[in-house]
Amino acid sequence: MKNALSTLLFLQLAMTTFAQTEISGLVTDKSGNPISGANIYLEGTYDGASTVENGTFSFETSEQGTQTLVISALAYETHYEMGEVAYFKNLKIQLVEAINQLSGVTLSAGTFEAGDNSKVSVLKPLDIVTTAGAAGDFVAALQTLPGTTTVNEDGRLFVRGGSAEETQVFIDGLRVFQPFNATANNTPTRGRFSPFLFKGITFSTGGYSAEYGQALSSVLLLNTTDVPDQEKTDIQAMTVGAGLGHTEIWGDESLSINTQYINLAPYETLIPSTNGMRWNTPYESVAGEAVFRSKGDKSMFKLYTGFNHATLDIEQEDINFEDFVRFRLKNNNLYFNANYKYFFENNWTIFTGGSVSWDSNDIGLLDNTIVANETASHVKLKAKKMFNSRFTLNVGTELFNTNYEETFTTPDAFSFDSDFEDTLWAGYLEGDIFFNNDFALKLGGRVEHTSVLDEFTISPRLSLAYKSGTNSQFSLAYGDFYQNPLTTVLRYDQNLGLEKTSHYILNYQYLNNGKTFRAEAYYKDYDDLIKYNTELPQFNSLYTNLGSGYATGLDVFWRDNKSVENLDYWISYSYLDTERDFQNFQERATPNFAPNHSFSIVTKYWWNKLRSQVGVSYNYGSGRPYDNPNTPEFLAERTKSFNNLSVNWAYLIDQQKILYFSVNNVLGFNNVSNYQYANTPNANGVFDRRAITPPADSFFFVGFFWTISTDNKSNQLDNL
Amino acid sequence: MKKLILLVALSITSLGWAQDQYTKGMSKALDLWGQQKINEASNLFERIAMAEEDNWIPYYYVAMVNTTASFDLKDEKQLTQQLERAKEFVDIAKRISPNNPELLVMEAMINTAWMAFDGATYGPMLSGKNVQLYNQALTLAPENPRVLFSKAEWDMGTARYFGKDTAPFCKDVGKAVELFATFGSEEPFYPSWGEDRAKQVWEQCKS
Repeated sequence: MKNALSTLLFLQLAMTTFAQTEISGLVTDKSGNPISGANIYLEGTYDGASTVENGTFSFETSEQGTQTLVISALAYETHYEMGEVAYFKNLKIQLVEAINQLSGVTLSAGTFEAGDNSKVSVLKPLDIVTTAGAAGDFVAALQTLPGTTTVNEDGRLFVRGGSAEETQVFIDGLRVFQPFNATANNTPTRGRFSPFLFKGITFSTGGYSAEYGQALSSVLLLNTTDVPDQEKTDIQAMTVGAGLGHTEIWGDESLSINTQYINLAPYETLIPSTNGMRWNTPYESVAGEAVFRSKGDKSMFKLYTGFNHATLDIEQEDINFEDFVRFRLKNNNLYFNANYKYFFENNWTIFTGGSVSWDSNDIGLLDNTIVANETASHVKLKAKKMFNSRFTLNVGTELFNTNYEETFTTPDAFSFDSDFEDTLWAGYLEGDIFFNNDFALKLGGRVEHTSVLDEFTISPRLSLAYKSGTNSQFSLAYGDFYQNPLTTVLRYDQNLGLEKTSHYILNYQYLNNGKTFRAEAYYKDYDDLIKYNTELPQFNSLYTNLGSGYATGLDVFWRDNKSVENLDYWISYSYLDTERDFQNFQERATPNFAPNHSFSIVTKYWWNKLRSQVGVSYNYGSGRPYDNPNTPEFLAERTKSFNNLSVNWAYLIDQQKILYFSVNNVLGFNNVSNYQYANTPNANGVFDRRAITPPADSFFFVGFFWTISTDNKSNQLDNL
Repeated sequence: MKKLILLVALSITSLGWAQDQYTKGMSKALDLWGQQKINEASNLFERIAMAEEDNWIPYYYVAMVNTTASFDLKDEKQLTQQLERAKEFVDIAKRISPNNPELLVMEAMINTAWMAFDGATYGPMLSGKNVQLYNQALTLAPENPRVLFSKAEWDMGTARYFGKDTAPFCKDVGKAVELFATFGSEEPFYPSWGEDRAKQVWEQCKS
């Protein structure tokens, strides 16, 4: 016994003292430059060392036989050598650089991101809503980015010569069918969604991923927050209404709700809007949103729901009528979006979800009524596999269903019904390939089939990125995009084809320490656009796919939040040259919504002494085309240019109470968006006209925002 | 019988051997850290962590070494690499030892390092998260002086930022100083930092 034990001890001692093997070598990168500070060790043991300045290492081990030597270094892929310990001598190890999402090349052509990922973000989420003139509407804030044009009487997104209908909005990858509040003509709308509930916004002005379709120009992707930071209650009292929000957290589950009541009546009583209109009942709405999240060990479930009920009754000037024309609207919108994500061990991620919306409009126009109901749904299943840091594969399939019905009734009880149903199926496959930190490629394709038109389409998508320097990169993107004809047309004619665009994009980007510069040149080729032979789409119009057009231009963006302390500003400029023949156009021309030059500057200054954030925004748009029937040319005249200077002031009464003032168009520029001409000439043979202007030149807003939270220091500044 | 005794003896020796190796390794790593050999210390803690897969402590130290080395660092690339490594190791440690207040404090410290580097960018993003982490840690371990002190120091920093009085948090600092005198853990190399700093802040509170 004694012998055995001492033998054992001796053996172990012998092992430590006599059987030491030296392991040594040199670690370099691909070009042979030494890597210092790399960690080299035998797997499962403590035996190892770090490389010194010249990349060499050496250490002794008592391990024997076949072992795995691990070589790991920051910014490089971990390397493994297997073999006899005795052979681990004077090793020459070349490490391959790891693909670095932070400093490496990014596939970003056409995309603006606002999110927590600071590398690709051009705007942070709070920028989106602290912009003067935006008044908490994130869509208005996006209109300060290049590639968009200010169509102030509409409020939706017009991207690169495309109409507002060419942009689609998605929440957590699922389609939002009615992203904007219902409104009257010439009264700007707002996005339905409060920025409170989203953590990341990606705004693509072209060349976007194969995951998205049915948008000729642009997609706007919103992501709801995964896990809220803390429980809190937000109270808002505003000149136009009131709001209440609350977040509750139970372990891995949380619920955020946000409700808002808007009534323009008190404001309109004090400062009436008088530009060619009067309210019978000013805009009034009740809206509620809720997000429920449940986070598992490897999974995430989210349910988003939004409800909105809005009414308005307005009388507007019309050149063809002696009296003002009455328009009343009652809109109900209910939206659900549920999705589930699961992360598998082997780097597969599965996402499945569905969204459904019910939208109903009850519209009175003159003495006619229009009752329209739309039920739309989207289900999606997608999978992502990260084979390694260099190759990711995305694959998915989705189904959209739209059911639309409308009844038009005249006072003499004549009524006309129109409806359609479409089921659209799509599948896509896309790969992201990072050849190294300087060169990356995204290649994909999308297949769609639409039942209403019975047509198959295949859209290739390609995006390339090359990092030309430490802080700069070039990108190229190409893609084909298809979209169904609009509901306004489809309800009358279903023997049509899809509309199509091709995008060609060249992008340059420079990022350095708080400064961002982007320039993007593009060409868009439009084909198969819908044309009709009446003023507006009607049941008896003749429809064709014979329209076409192009849009080309240059977008420039500059942002700097470091050079001057407490000052953050960005400047956007867009040049747009576009012509198209579509809808009721007589010939190819530049549409009213496409001015040649758009410019905006947004500034924000944190005034520490006054505990205030002061913001100033200025927007400029060159004159917009309009058609003068007194001349033989079509859409040949231009309005005067558009100017808007807006200011806002957020004052922190204390950490949780904020007083907020904003004035839109503070200098009261009389902006004209278009002219309406009479249908028939007057006694002198001239068509009379009237200018289409915003309902009021300026808009004032005062709000009080109070946050009650457990930490006593959150506030709603981020959301103003 | 003899065989059994041999087997028991063998396992005891190898256990003793392993323990000893761990103590030796950890001591050496702490020593390297003391000598400001940040990279070597981090590498050695990492080697130990990789060999001791069920022990959260070496993972904790990898995070600690990389985080403390990131304060006052101006190079964004290096800072990012170090803080991401710290976060990676804290995440693994949290899986090994869930609901561990020391790891929550560690995670909050990583966030604080980000905020110290660029408050305008990371402040709004991470300050709410830190409040949550400290509250969670306090619920789990109300008598842990490191938790109490770290939270108090964080609250003082926020109050200072908003130009408020820091005095209300002094009583927590005082309580932490008291608790530091008796607080300890059986676990070898259990975190033990904070007492000196707490005393320093306590002195400031009293003056």
